[in-house]
Amino acid sequence: MAEPLWIAKTGLDAQKNRLSTISNNLANVNTTGFKRSRTVFEDLIYQNVRQPGGQTSQETILPSGLQIGTGVKTVATQKIHQQGSLLQTENKFDMAIEGRGFFQILQPNGNLAYTRNGEFQLSADGQIVNSNGYRLQPDINVPQNALSVTIGIDGTVSVSQPGNPIPAQIGTIQLADFVNPSGLQALGGNLLGETAASGAAIIGTPDSLSFGSLVQGSLEGSNVNVVEELVNMIETQRAYEMNSKAISTADQMLQYVNNNL
Amino acid sequence: MDRMLYVAMSGAKQNMLAQAHNANNMANVSTTGFKSDLAAARSMPLFGNGLPTRVFSMTERAGTDFNPGSIQTTARKLDIAIKGDGFIAVQGKDGNEAYTRAGGLRVSATGILETEQGLAVIGDNGPITVPQAKRVEIGLDGTVSAISQTKGAEVSNAVGRIKLVNPDLKTVAKGNDGLFHLDDDEIAQADANVQVVSGALEGSNVNVATEMVNMIELARQFEMQVKMMKVAEKNDEYASRLLTLG
Repeated sequence: MAEPLWIAKTGLDAQKNRLSTISNNLANVNTTGFKRSRTVFEDLIYQNVRQPGGQTSQETILPSGLQIGTGVKTVATQKIHQQGSLLQTENKFDMAIEGRGFFQILQPNGNLAYTRNGEFQLSADGQIVNSNGYRLQPDINVPQNALSVTIGIDGTVSVSQPGNPIPAQIGTIQLADFVNPSGLQALGGNLLGETAASGAAIIGTPDSLSFGSLVQGSLEGSNVNVVEELVNMIETQRAYEMNSKAISTADQMLQYVNNNL
Repeated sequence: MDRMLYVAMSGAKQNMLAQAHNANNMANVSTTGFKSDLAAARSMPLFGNGLPTRVFSMTERAGTDFNPGSIQTTARKLDIAIKGDGFIAVQGKDGNEAYTRAGGLRVSATGILETEQGLAVIGDNGPITVPQAKRVEIGLDGTVSAISQTKGAEVSNAVGRIKLVNPDLKTVAKGNDGLFHLDDDEIAQADANVQVVSGALEGSNVNVATEMVNMIELARQFEMQVKMMKVAEKNDEYASRLLTLG
């Protein structure tokens, strides 16, 4: 019936989605390895009410037509893969990636997931696992009698054992990278999954080619910028208010017709 | 019965269309690179038998407001905003070259540089393919470089240059897909003077205060048209009352 009502409704929907994204970013301001998202908007298709250049008579044409947009659409929530700040924890199994790449985690269903969260621990049988108990890939077994564990910037894991002055290398942590990391699907629990949009995982050694280096004893903080999110929140709220104003105006116009005719 | 009722009705209808226009601008207040549409009304005299006394109004989209929107810094390397005039050339959904100011770019799974809507960005020689790299940077003139690392030393490789154009705005119109097209689907020449800033996006150029004032104005105009319809009804009523008395 009345286009303005529906057009303004798309505006309200879009701003609501944006606020959800902002809230999620703010809620994860202290989540290790969290990457903030942003909502991407696009104007919807235009309706040609009157075609420009249409004939108004035998000799005359319309100089400009009437095209009415149909509102706005949320096309995507895009993860922004910027480096978060590194926090020193001095915990020997905490790792941060400085640069590109993801840790590979084996999920209980047998699929690989990817994460920037480097909070690892040892399981009862000496495997390096994340806080949910999922194993870091490739598997690394830390011997029970290890005195200390050292993880190099290139992912080499070595342990020193009693009675042996030379540290023994027990494995190498490998990272995965994607052509389009923004295309990864968030699985929750700080894990991301491969999709057609991200491209296939490219596995490599840290600190080589495009891969970032590992930093032992550090964690990567969330990359949420609180001030930016708050500014976005103000903007979203005001845009929401304006669109609801457009709805009430269109409503009043129709109400006036109903009351007066 | 007098045709005044129809003239007033067409006025109210056109006001409603203009209001839809306005609502669309307001809905796109946070769409990256959105350019607001200008609405205008034009009088259309009706020629027929007798004198052309009836003049209908007609709402038109007179054009697009090409004023730049505010620049928002995002610090993301693949976000670009155009300094001053100009457009980024992309491949529209119909395969033809189209132009946009929304510079939030990304690399697709197949390595093609594309916009957030999934449209390939056009370079000097067609779409730009970005290889696996440590970092991708976009220079002032739209040159895309992939930075790779070998043994600690960074090597920068230029992989293409985004086609930036600056056609005469008189020939640019917004298509139904929201992208800009040249008249008769012509292709604009690359312009070396157009510059981009990396790490920033251009916001929507919708002026909220103007749109709000327009909205109030249109709502009141609409009420006046309805009032005229009411008057037409009254006139008619009095005329028939006269006849019944006689």
